[in-house]
Amino acid sequence: MALIVAGLSHHTAPIDVREQVAVAPHETPRVLDDLARATGAAELALLSTCNRTEVYVVEGEEPAAPPIWEHLSLRLGGTADAAAYGYVRRDREAAAHLYRVASGLDSMILGEAQIHGQVRDAWEASRSTSRAILNRLFQSSLLVASRVREETAVGRGAASVSSAAVQLSKKIFGNLSGRRAMVLGAGDMADLALECLVSEGVRTAIVANRTYERAVALAERHGGEALHYDDCWTRLADVDVLLCSTAAPHPIVERAQVEPAMRQRGDRPLCILDIALPRDVASDVGMLDNVFLYDLDDLRSVVETNLERRRQELPTAESVIADEVEQYWQWLAGLAAVPVLRTFRSQMDRVREDELARALKKLAHLAPNDRAAVDLFSRALMNKFLHEPSVRLRAASANGHGLAIVDALRYLFALESSESGTPPDDTPNAEGR
Amino acid sequence: MIALAHAVAIVLYLAAAGLAAIPFARPIRAPVRSVIWVLAAGIAVHLVALGDFVRIHGEPPLTGLGPAMSFAAVLVAITLLTVEALAREVSLTLFAAPLAALLTGFASLTGMVPGPEADGMRGVWLTSHIALSFLGIAAFATAAGAGVMYLVERRELKSRRFGAIFRFFPPLETLDRVNHVAVVAGWLALTVGIGLASSYALEYRTGHAIKMVWAYSAWLAVTALTIGRVVRGWCAHRAAMLTNLLFAGVVVLYIAFRVIDPLKGRFL
Repeated sequence: MALIVAGLSHHTAPIDVREQVAVAPHETPRVLDDLARATGAAELALLSTCNRTEVYVVEGEEPAAPPIWEHLSLRLGGTADAAAYGYVRRDREAAAHLYRVASGLDSMILGEAQIHGQVRDAWEASRSTSRAILNRLFQSSLLVASRVREETAVGRGAASVSSAAVQLSKKIFGNLSGRRAMVLGAGDMADLALECLVSEGVRTAIVANRTYERAVALAERHGGEALHYDDCWTRLADVDVLLCSTAAPHPIVERAQVEPAMRQRGDRPLCILDIALPRDVASDVGMLDNVFLYDLDDLRSVVETNLERRRQELPTAESVIADEVEQYWQWLAGLAAVPVLRTFRSQMDRVREDELARALKKLAHLAPNDRAAVDLFSRALMNKFLHEPSVRLRAASANGHGLAIVDALRYLFALESSESGTPPDDTPNAEGR
Repeated sequence: MIALAHAVAIVLYLAAAGLAAIPFARPIRAPVRSVIWVLAAGIAVHLVALGDFVRIHGEPPLTGLGPAMSFAAVLVAITLLTVEALAREVSLTLFAAPLAALLTGFASLTGMVPGPEADGMRGVWLTSHIALSFLGIAAFATAAGAGVMYLVERRELKSRRFGAIFRFFPPLETLDRVNHVAVVAGWLALTVGIGLASSYALEYRTGHAIKMVWAYSAWLAVTALTIGRVVRGWCAHRAAMLTNLLFAGVVVLYIAFRVIDPLKGRFL
């Protein structure tokens, strides 16, 4: 009973390979069925996102990795070997890998939160082929991810320029709900940043652009109001956030335009986010009282600082994961020991019964009471012999070292054929979590 | 018992400040619940000390420098706890909890000895005046604490430094709101407290000129801030700056009056 993960990710495969191998949600049941047939696995789960496609397997009699590579290679058109782009992790390493993935430690942007939901969805989609071992693994991975987020700063702070713009605005205004924003320019960056601001509850978005039609298009997309560029200065006093993203070759927001607006605003602060290159806002605007001016370098600096801080938290996150992997492994070892121990005892009991029957045939002259005494003796002897190994196996399982002993027991007493397969699923289903 | 309870309260106030400062050492959130519980424990122990004072002397800890300081400290801590429990935001602890510890330490060093006490109705009048005045000053101190934090954070944001203060101080807007609420609450408490004192002085033809000058100065400072904030719309940088200037002025005036007070011991 080996736990493995085989797959490829952004660390090992270029985007075109990942695109071809990725499994769409509607394909998942069919792919899982195909893989289950091909691998003969006891349990199977598939995690496929834009950055990774991984198959988690509790192996059956045969190694599962070759058929998985075969299947993934077919998705590449049969011209390339998927194994060349992939990796296989076994046992503890496989569990630790899923814990890292779910916690965002293996993501392209360290600590990103979206993967948590994707792991949950993958588990849901794989319920038909997962049992106790994988259910427990996926369930615990979600809990580990929550623990990592709670106990470390791995997921804290903005990790993109547009979210950094939101983080800075929120540092000044707290909640952005109901605030007013004006956007100068109607390019892609403006679109993205405005989307972030609107999603945070910015109420009125005013878009001003030299090409009025483009301003109208962007304003309509975000439920805002379009203005002719020359009219925007009269509205500056009303807004809390000014987002500048034009293609102008020189500063278009000068101190002379902002100063009157600030007088009208009284003491209320104004946050100016200049994400244009070259900059749209003259640097002396930032010296005005109550004006908070940030350019692209500042936003990137926020992002870089946050990512660096996330990286500094990696050792703490890894120690949380190591701790949880150990707990999972103890559980798994205990789970594996129970059926083996049961099979071992029943096999020994069969041997005892056979030998007892043979002996009693030769001792036919014995009275029933004496026959019962011999039976009792054989049982007591067997229990004496099996007591110490059973206790030691349970103890080894409890401290996480049981799997090797379980395998040795299986091998020495030829238990493979008589042992029942995967243990029953004692993990609550997703709805019951 | 009083000295021991004061010492324990000081340790707990400083421990709360230490817990609130954790984010500056490690990039994790401040343990809000722990800070609130430790602060609440400090207040509970402090109240035990004040309760013991009442048991021993048979009067509230409002007259005499030591008792009054201790009472002011517990009011600062209670105001802090209320604000933080409601806002689930504990960064104000960094300033207010050490202030409460400082006042408590000062009270212990000065000695918990009651001042001359008025009896009967005069006693009730005097007690209400002192309690409300302390509440007003505690609120003023809270507004000043929020003002200091506002100015520190504003400086960081203006100079584009994105360090620990950027990460863990509450937004400028929140600090401005705390300042606003504390100024208005302080004005209400001080107005009633000093109104009672003035009526008391007129009724019983008693009074202490320096004490009254200081009290009216403090009231004028808070009144100016309240009018500025509520009527003139002061907020943000201007409000924080003026709160700190006026609070510093009131503190300096207090120290000066303590030094020149001809009736040593009668002026708090």
